[in-house]
Amino acid sequence: MIGQFIDGPLWTFSLAVFVIGVVWRIVTILMAGNRPDLSTPRGSASSGAIRTIFSRSVYERTAATRGRLLQIAGYLFHIGLFALLFFAKPHVDFYAERITGFGWATMPHWAFILSAELAFLGLLLLWIHRLLSPVTRLLSDLDDHLGSILVFLVMLTGCLALAQSFEALRLIHLLLAELLLIYFPFSKLMHTFTFVMSRGYTGATMGRKGVNA
Amino acid sequence: MIEQFEQGVEVLRQQIDARISSYFSSCVHCGLCAEACLFYTETHDPRYTPIYKLEPMRKLWRREHTFWGKLGAVFGLNEPLTEQDFADWETLVYDSCTLCGRCSMICPVGNDITYMIRRQREGFSVAGYAPEGMKEATKRALKIGSPMGVTFKTLKAALAHVERDTGLAIPIDKKGADYMTLFSSMEVVNFPEYIESIARIFQAAGISWTISSKAFEATNSGIQIGNREAAAELVNRIVVAAEELNVKYVVSPECGHAYTSIRWEGPNLIGRQYPFEVVHILELLEQLKRDGRLQLEGKSATPMTLHDPCQIVRRGGVVQQPRELLDGVAETFVEMKDHGVMNWCCGGGGGVSANDRAEPLRLRVFERKKRQLEETGVDTLVTACANCRIILEEGIEEYEMETEVISLTELVAEHLVDGSKNKE
Amino acid sequence: MGSMISISIPPGSLGAKAAAWSLLLLWLMLLPGQGLAESKQVKGLPPPAVLNPAADLWRDIRQRDMATTGTTQVRGVDSGVLINANGDKWRKFRMDQLIPIGGYLLLGMGLFLILFYLIRGKVRIAGGASDRKLPRYTSYERLIHWFIASIFIFLALTGLIILFGRPLLIPIFGKELFSVIASASKEGHNLMGPLFLVALILVFIKFVRRNIYQKGDMSWLLRGGGIIGKKHVPSNFFNMGEKSMFWMLIIVGSVIVASGLVLIFPIFGQGREWMELAHVGHAIGAILMITVIMGHIYIGTIGMEGAIEGMSTGYCDLNWAKEHHDYWASQMEKRGEAISNEAVNRFSDPDTNRSLGRELREAGE
Repeated sequence: MIGQFIDGPLWTFSLAVFVIGVVWRIVTILMAGNRPDLSTPRGSASSGAIRTIFSRSVYERTAATRGRLLQIAGYLFHIGLFALLFFAKPHVDFYAERITGFGWATMPHWAFILSAELAFLGLLLLWIHRLLSPVTRLLSDLDDHLGSILVFLVMLTGCLALAQSFEALRLIHLLLAELLLIYFPFSKLMHTFTFVMSRGYTGATMGRKGVNA
Repeated sequence: MIEQFEQGVEVLRQQIDARISSYFSSCVHCGLCAEACLFYTETHDPRYTPIYKLEPMRKLWRREHTFWGKLGAVFGLNEPLTEQDFADWETLVYDSCTLCGRCSMICPVGNDITYMIRRQREGFSVAGYAPEGMKEATKRALKIGSPMGVTFKTLKAALAHVERDTGLAIPIDKKGADYMTLFSSMEVVNFPEYIESIARIFQAAGISWTISSKAFEATNSGIQIGNREAAAELVNRIVVAAEELNVKYVVSPECGHAYTSIRWEGPNLIGRQYPFEVVHILELLEQLKRDGRLQLEGKSATPMTLHDPCQIVRRGGVVQQPRELLDGVAETFVEMKDHGVMNWCCGGGGGVSANDRAEPLRLRVFERKKRQLEETGVDTLVTACANCRIILEEGIEEYEMETEVISLTELVAEHLVDGSKNKE
Repeated sequence: MGSMISISIPPGSLGAKAAAWSLLLLWLMLLPGQGLAESKQVKGLPPPAVLNPAADLWRDIRQRDMATTGTTQVRGVDSGVLINANGDKWRKFRMDQLIPIGGYLLLGMGLFLILFYLIRGKVRIAGGASDRKLPRYTSYERLIHWFIASIFIFLALTGLIILFGRPLLIPIFGKELFSVIASASKEGHNLMGPLFLVALILVFIKFVRRNIYQKGDMSWLLRGGGIIGKKHVPSNFFNMGEKSMFWMLIIVGSVIVASGLVLIFPIFGQGREWMELAHVGHAIGAILMITVIMGHIYIGTIGMEGAIEGMSTGYCDLNWAKEHHDYWASQMEKRGEAISNEAVNRFSDPDTNRSLGRELREAGE
């Protein structure tokens, strides 16, 4: 009964909230508008934007010790999560069945497990760091912690359901993923999409000035 | 006061554009920007974390631009931006930020934090929460024409000295000249050698140039305090003067923020494009050198290092030119460990040098520059910003170091192939 | 008769072979359950002396009196062994010794700590909290401590569920629900396990230098570490107890990690006997580790005033340091590393953050 609800209507609902919410957030940001820049450019804004969108993912050597840890943990978490979200066989099968109608190449099982390990390693380090460092303690609000906890729980329940032999475990994983989808557009998790805009805006401004940002 | 505060909030509200909305949406509070800020690295006080300096603006953004904020506002759950916030954050926004832009280079989601602080200052200045020193400087700039109270009479006296020393005639208000040169008050008062160097270099390169009696001051206190109207007025004076003289180029002096204000912010402040081009003196010198119009001879044997002024290099895009010039005049040029667009600020930019209250903090964070200098093992520091120069000299004195600070333009002038130069 | 297996099953019929194997496997899996049921029935009674007519056949299959390995066309580790004789020993050990003794050990440690707390009470800072603090752990040190701590707690909980689930949890949740819990625990345990290795390496690299035994450690031990008596015993940055716990974490931890890897990666040719051995080492090591860590958690939290501060805030009270780590504390104090409470709060207490503007303004005036 509840299983059917989680598998059916709640999934549709949460996916709708996610898609509509994300689009709505991006549109409201764009609607705020920017004043056109009248200064004579030295370099190209668009190539600056594209460059920064990618180059900001490159390791920043000048950040000190704490920065090193943050960056390495950040890589582990994001790369691991991305890989297991889009290339783990159970996920791809799920997308093929529920959303796209077609599947794509998946990673071998060992790579799936490895990326899960890396993602957990990164997330735990980042979250504990958030709880410990005076800087992040000062900055963090409920949203930051809620986002971390939800992602952690989704990952944890996913890992508990790895045997893929119990419907209950799959449903718990799915339920948490749905809660995450519903929470997503109203939270910091939006940085998944808005980082492209932020890097783009900054890259464009700096690109006009002829600076590789 | 209440009315002024509300105006301040209104101005702050107007600042929130798509860029700032996306920046706040993207920030995950990772705290990496703290590692880029010399106020944090030298004090380890978490409150100097760059993004934390934006809490007042974030509060407003959250309340008016986010779902939870709007929902909370309906039920009176989240507190609105208060005047106390302005009071509490004033020092963070003005004393502990030099708008150096280092945090903007390091943010993983690409937020231009410096841009946001520059915007937030607009609201603060209107609400009346800005340091006295900067308010006074802005008033003087608007009334007298210079933040340091330098009038054209003072400049004329300095120019007379230069004319006597070099035997060159300095063209004033010459219509149709190619280049109109600006100065910063700091140069007129503290480093008249700069004016002399310019005169000799331009003479040697055969450049048609002039100085306007109506607008010779390049600095812009309005930019630093964050007051759009004041900043626009100061830029407009230069634009009007340049149009009257019908020049092709306006030359920004070594001063860093002057370049940002006239080159990058200016057209946006006055709302139109210029009929002339703005070049930084280093850009011009490098161009002249490349074109062969600037002949240099002999190289200084003393090893030298370069302090990149933030507003010229990181925020201005004049990165390679100072290096090309320095290579032409110095035998040994040692780069600092973090150089170019990742260089560390001297600690006095963004109006901090005009803010007496910030002096102890500014001298404390100078330790970063001190370490950087010591790492190079070089005792001669070349820079290209009059403000950096004075701040560096103060820091060097405070820490009893042996470093000599020299201006790149002056250094270039010393190596001119020209009969008129006076070699010491 | 060493080739009995390949003879007894017609070659070529893979299906039949697989069926025979799965039957055997099923039987093996049912064994523990049967054993449990039987032992309940026969409590106190001598075993009935009924002769099993198939006993000889089974004795042969089990290969009691001959080489334990036959030949087979099935490729794989141990595929020549029809019945692993040691498996039964291992099963017996697990059911009759490991689970009860391990369980009582953990329970005993819990009771001991409660009793200890009732008798000794919380070890207070005798001089009371001072107005100064010493920096004890950097944020990186605290980060890896809490990292290994969270991984350890997760692994301990899931591991205990796997080991004690049958006697403790089935009566509560029933078999149906427990099968779900057990599967989840096993998957979680296997996935998180390798992270413990990462954590262990990070902890080892960071803390090893301060944990090398040195002068003064022995006298600390001889005087009971100060927790038994009322007198304070000086020690270095880490005392003998902490150092010993560190080495135990490293050594026993390595055994746990190594045996755990043998168990989750059965791809290096390790057979069932290796796996049984690994399991025994893994379980004994883990129970030992959990027992010690229980003590560690006790001292760190309710057992001693001021002990957790170093790990939570990074700073410890000066008086606490003098009472428990005097050699280190006096060195630090001499170097002028002691910081006033206000200065520490400035950096760690978010409540003081809002006043910075005022502070700076006042300082400037």
